[in-house]
Amino acid sequence: MTVLSCSGLRRRFGDVLAVDDVSFTIAEGETYGLLGPNGAGKTTTISMITGVLERDAGEVVVDGVPMSPDAVAAKRLVGYVPQELALYPDLTGRENLRFFASLYGAGRRRVDEVLEVVGLADRAGDLAREYSGGMKRRLNVAIGLLHEPRLLVLDEPTAGVDPQSRNQIMENVRALAAEGMAILYTTHYMEEAERLCDRVGVIDSGRLIAEGTRRELVERLGERDRISLQLDGDLSHAATVLGAIPAVRGLAPHGHGLELVVDDARECLPVVLSAISTNGAVVRSVEVTEPNLETVFLHLTGKALRE
Amino acid sequence: MKVLSIAWINVHRALRDRTGLFFLVALPLLLVFIIGAAFGGSMKPVVGVVGDAGALRSDASVQVRDFADEPALRAAVEHGEISAGLVRAGTPVLLTRSDRSGQQVRMLVTSALTREANRLSAGEFVASHAGIDRDTALSVVDSMRVEPVEVRATTTGEALFPEGFSGFDLGASNQLIVFTFLNALTTAAALVETRSFGVTRRMFATPTPARVIVAGEALGRIAIALLQGLIVVAGSALLFGVRWGDPLGAAALLVAFALVSGGAGLLLGALCRTQQQTGGFGILLGLGLAAFGGCMVPLEFFSPALRTVAFATPHGWANDGFAALTRRGGDLLSVAPHLGVLLGFAAVLFSLGAWRLRLAVTR
Ligand SMILES: Nc1ncnc2c1ncn2[C@@H]1O[C@H](COP(=O)(O)OP(=O)(O)OP(=O)(O)O)[C@@H](O)[C@H]1O
Ligand SMILES: [Mg+2]
Repeated sequence: MTVLSCSGLRRRFGDVLAVDDVSFTIAEGETYGLLGPNGAGKTTTISMITGVLERDAGEVVVDGVPMSPDAVAAKRLVGYVPQELALYPDLTGRENLRFFASLYGAGRRRVDEVLEVVGLADRAGDLAREYSGGMKRRLNVAIGLLHEPRLLVLDEPTAGVDPQSRNQIMENVRALAAEGMAILYTTHYMEEAERLCDRVGVIDSGRLIAEGTRRELVERLGERDRISLQLDGDLSHAATVLGAIPAVRGLAPHGHGLELVVDDARECLPVVLSAISTNGAVVRSVEVTEPNLETVFLHLTGKALRE
Repeated sequence: MKVLSIAWINVHRALRDRTGLFFLVALPLLLVFIIGAAFGGSMKPVVGVVGDAGALRSDASVQVRDFADEPALRAAVEHGEISAGLVRAGTPVLLTRSDRSGQQVRMLVTSALTREANRLSAGEFVASHAGIDRDTALSVVDSMRVEPVEVRATTTGEALFPEGFSGFDLGASNQLIVFTFLNALTTAAALVETRSFGVTRRMFATPTPARVIVAGEALGRIAIALLQGLIVVAGSALLFGVRWGDPLGAAALLVAFALVSGGAGLLLGALCRTQQQTGGFGILLGLGLAAFGGCMVPLEFFSPALRTVAFATPHGWANDGFAALTRRGGDLLSVAPHLGVLLGFAAVLFSLGAWRLRLAVTR
């Protein structure tokens, strides 16, 4: 079931066309990553989706309800974690949460729950100003969870945090998705996108230039998973046997062994290994290469994700 | 209520912050004392006395303090600790300073001492003619004391300030107007700060209509302005007897002017990008409007053209409203036009502020 659908989003700031004809959808329980270099238009897109920014063109619909800056009903369905920390540093964590809870119509018990979820319960009475960077980030995320939204939008929620807080935030996101929340996630960290996102959209200079699962994107570039094997035994026989496996798409000699081009290296590897051993050859070494999003990204935009 | 949550968070932060606390509580209290000391009508002169104070001690219009000797008395007068000093040995000697208050004290003391001398000589006269002892004679004299004749003074012709109007009560309302407005403009900085934290934008992402956010931000500012105004008016009236005129009328004017001030704070906070800007424009606007609105020089001294300008400012209307209450004996009904205009100003400021704030966040 589709939770977010946006189509034809466009926004101009003076001479800069920040977002140009961006469309995508996110389903229930799906985590969608929006990846792009600095200034690509991620935050602008997200601001239009969350209804805090006017758009020049396009539609945003959340759970069947059209979104706009005045659409109170649609905003009830969306949780928003902005890129910049948006909280009162001179209030405590709990006071910040209670304030936003009152705006979301969430109760005090929910504030305590959320504090537990992000692991800030024992520091809830301290001023936000005195939190570490990672704790501030977690509080920033917590505010977006208060009203248990259908769609959670996180704009670089882990920017500049320690590994511990990063893991906490990523675990939170994963658990929420498992409960069926639709999640829109932007990040500069490729490994986060690979770990969390079911699908990614690559945005550059305001345009969505590619979209799909990691595998789809990788394949569209002609990049495939590869398994390199070093073998003792009859290479040509092994090649015949392995070539008969449906998931093996290509095969070439490679040193004292073979290099296979496969659909999905992880699924394929056990099949390949058992085929070899039943045919009497001995595997000396195995090397699996899965082209990652970084490769895709570099290929598509000519830029590294983080500069 | 979301409006109240947003309003409360403003007051709460102002109370927690040290400078906020100064503007919210300490400054109005300071104003109470400044206004009270300068404009309060109930300050009694203190007269230091060496020797028997006599009739002065029972005089309601002065307060007597006893001194052991003349040098101590003289020093106290010179240091301004007391208004005047009286030495009673033979011919009474009065030590005063050579200002107007010195002359007033001299008249008070002279009349008190004359009354005392009159009583004693009348007692002597009755004792010798009626053949009764001196104490009985004095009690007879006391029993037939003539009450002072009441003289009602009034001015004739084109008097700007009627008799009994000290000229200072107007000063008190001027101060109130100037500072309520200035303080409200300083709250604009808090709004700019909230915006720069990204919190205002985040509020727009919650299911809260823009008008509720704006109303909440405004209400916080009005509450602060109103609280300050109340502290000043009630404090100076209770502690120092400063007159504000008809209570209902004064309260209504105060509320209306607090609304204007809160609206101005909102608009300024929505227009400015930095806190420095709010500070600069705040002072400029606060003092400029005060000057044109007759808070520095009484409106009566304005030329007709300047008067027109004065009544283009909320300060001019508030000023004239308080003048109607304190000087022309007006009540709620007579300041109705002033209230109407002030509420109009407030409505315009809120609408503009709301529009600007929404634009500043969503554009
Ligand atoms: N309020 C604004 N006024 C003018 N230009 C803006 C504004 N907001 C964004 N832009 C411009 O729009 C473009 C897209 O910016 P945006 O913030 O959406 O990028 P981003 O993908 O979020 O970048 P980052 O990864 O650095 O956060 C940039 O060129 C930026 O300078
Ligand atoms: Mg961004």
